[in-house]
Amino acid sequence: MAIKTQTVVDPFAGAPQRFAAGVLGMWVFLIVIAMLFLGAIMGYLVVRLHPDPAEPFIPKGATGLPGVLVFSTIALMASSYFMRLATQKVRLAQWQHAHAAMSATLVLAMVFLALQIIAWVTLWRNNIHFGDSLYAWTFYVLTGLHALHVLAGFIPLIRAWSKTARRAYSPEHPEGIVYCEMYWHLLGAIWLMLYFTLWLGMRT
Amino acid sequence: MTTINLSQPLDTTVRPDNYLTHTSGFMSWAFTLDHKRIGVMYMVSVLLSFFVGGVFALLVRTELLTPGQTIPGVTADVYNHFFTLHGAIMVFLVIIPSIPAALGNFIMPIMLGAKDVAFPRLNLFSYYLWVFGALFTVCSLLLGGFDTGWTFYTPYSTTTPAGGVIAALTGVFILGFSSIFTGLNFVVTVHKLRPPGMTWFRMPLFLWAIYATAIIQVLATPVLGITLLLLIVERAFNIGIFDPSMGGDPVLFQHFFWFYSHPAVYIMILPAMGIISELISVHAHRHIFGYKFIALSSIAIAIFSFLVWGHHMFISGQSPLLNTLFSLISFSVAIPSAVKVFNWMSTLYKGNIVLNTPMLYALSFLVLFTIGGLTGIHLATLNTDVHLHDTYFVVEHFHYVMMGSALIGMIGGLHHWWPKMTGRMYNETLGRVACVIVFIGFNVTFFTQFFLGSQGMPRRYYDYLPEYQIYHVISTIGSYIMALGFLLTAYYLMASLFGGRRAPANPWGGGSLEWQCSSPPPFDNFAKQPRVGDCYNFSAIRWDEKEQGYVVDPALQASVNPNLAAKNSH
Ligand code: HEM
Ligand SMILES: [Cu+2]
Repeated sequence: MAIKTQTVVDPFAGAPQRFAAGVLGMWVFLIVIAMLFLGAIMGYLVVRLHPDPAEPFIPKGATGLPGVLVFSTIALMASSYFMRLATQKVRLAQWQHAHAAMSATLVLAMVFLALQIIAWVTLWRNNIHFGDSLYAWTFYVLTGLHALHVLAGFIPLIRAWSKTARRAYSPEHPEGIVYCEMYWHLLGAIWLMLYFTLWLGMRT
Repeated sequence: MTTINLSQPLDTTVRPDNYLTHTSGFMSWAFTLDHKRIGVMYMVSVLLSFFVGGVFALLVRTELLTPGQTIPGVTADVYNHFFTLHGAIMVFLVIIPSIPAALGNFIMPIMLGAKDVAFPRLNLFSYYLWVFGALFTVCSLLLGGFDTGWTFYTPYSTTTPAGGVIAALTGVFILGFSSIFTGLNFVVTVHKLRPPGMTWFRMPLFLWAIYATAIIQVLATPVLGITLLLLIVERAFNIGIFDPSMGGDPVLFQHFFWFYSHPAVYIMILPAMGIISELISVHAHRHIFGYKFIALSSIAIAIFSFLVWGHHMFISGQSPLLNTLFSLISFSVAIPSAVKVFNWMSTLYKGNIVLNTPMLYALSFLVLFTIGGLTGIHLATLNTDVHLHDTYFVVEHFHYVMMGSALIGMIGGLHHWWPKMTGRMYNETLGRVACVIVFIGFNVTFFTQFFLGSQGMPRRYYDYLPEYQIYHVISTIGSYIMALGFLLTAYYLMASLFGGRRAPANPWGGGSLEWQCSSPPPFDNFAKQPRVGDCYNFSAIRWDEKEQGYVVDPALQASVNPNLAAKNSH
């Protein structure tokens, strides 16, 4: 099984240095993701603020953002809260609590995605179709891009969830769950910003 | 402050093997986590891409020998594909990764006295992203190619056949993430892996440059990513925010694109500037002049680079106020650039200049970058740019800075570190000859384009008025001369691998840490963490006949700093 490669060289002097580097690396990564969404939001604002004079940006028949988004927002915020709790409990070595909090995080993340899907279906049923207007296009693309990031987040979430079950972290070495938490909060923050932007976009 | 501390390059005798011989077999390379091997793999890939991009360049130049069709079968349409591929390959596959990912990967951790970059796995992942990105870009050829120019301007890119365009956009998107992860890795490496004693202001200037570049990579490239992503969706579904038919804005694409691509030109030039700082001080054997100014001007350039993108869009219908502001801020970029040039000149002044190949490349850089930078000022001036925009003047400008500076800097660095990477010396005479040929060929090719551009020959044109022909012919001849120079370079570099003299640890008399480990370095760079001093203080380094390289003279060191010499002798 083992592929004979170079002897792996550890660039770090010790675990604390590695952890510090990991956290810094995560911060840079968060900045990358944030820039991605900032770009998308800027693009949205530009086309929203300079609409085609012949055609209103919001097509006839559109009835505002789907109300279910309020609940998905609450779910994602709550999920973020439990994620925070889970890391705290790991740091205190309270494994059962940590695992329970991770389970709550995961379930709420699924709820969030389910509610997003409901929001898309609602809009679609209201005849707001992807290719029909820029309003629809931007809504689906922006929320879809965010949902994809949430979906990708399931990989670290499930990993952290199973590791809390196996007590694979230690209070001194909570690395993985800390990185996971950083990413998760960022997705929460980005969602708030996105929701706010879309809400602003609905005002005329 | 000016402590120097260069231990004798003892590692040579201690280690039985080096990073090339430590393990062998295909797998040991394909799955390597060693930054040096990854650097070498990048270098080989980048040079191969350079060859392919170069072939397209020669095709473009040959086609332009006469007005109308020159090469049988090359229609205007095919010509558009040629220059688009040439541009896209050279920018995204060659220049952007060449210095940070290839040379930087190899040299940076060693210069830092570290054993590897912070995240070796991510580093390997970046390399494979590069490979996938390159494959996608090349596959676009099979799907009908793309002829939008490397800039992918809408509505060209949203109206030309989808297959090739989508493949190419996906390729560049992936390449962008390769670049982002390299940048991320380097930021963390510079922050977290500097050895004790290496304060920020003791870092070799190459590291400052790579660091500033990495910052731009992580901040600007995601914007390119989202732009390309939106464009891919738009091209696939025929609707999107760049499409004016539904209230989208094609100029928005230009804003997005240049918000990335202007900083990206500094992703290309900053690392080259870092190399030049090393080359000039090492090969003139003189302490770099104005260290802090050079270091901080890299940061200044990185910051300014985010504020000037609009100078590519003076005639896009942007408001006059914006035009004025962008023009004004663009001028200010010239200040940190000039600060560097003046400091390099001062370093050379009264230096003990050795006119070997790396130094010749450094001097070429000084000349060509000065010309390229100054023509940038013409273009940043509103009223002249209205005439010069989209003419050969722009082509000439960016070739002076991208090829004449960024690429020449890379080749200079390649020669400088070649003995370290391969353990072999190349043929110095051929090296100098090739450099002179490239320099002459370059100027014949591109200086001519000044005249073309200022007389109004538009860029990206297949056909032209007969009065331009003489310039096109000269320019094409220049490109053949250049090709000759590069082929010669390829020849003697390859030849050195087989018959070259074994390289000493320190062939040039450099003071930074990479000259302290053997050539080629052992797999973990340093057995024990080296101690760090002023890497531009060459006073204790002298030529040694027996070693056929430079060594640290304990006697000289004692006179410079008795304290440290005593410590070293233990
Ligand atoms: C002194 C600093 C510089 C200034 C003031 C400057 C200014 C400009 C301006 C105003 C243009 C737009 C011309 C037009 O399209 O009408 C331009 C084009 C360009 N510049 Fe520079 N530039 C500078 C340095 C550089 C450097 C260092 C690089 C690359 C390493 C670079 C690469 C390019 C490229 C690639 C284009 C053309 C892009 C295209 O349209 O395809 N420039 N420059
Ligand atoms: Cu620019």
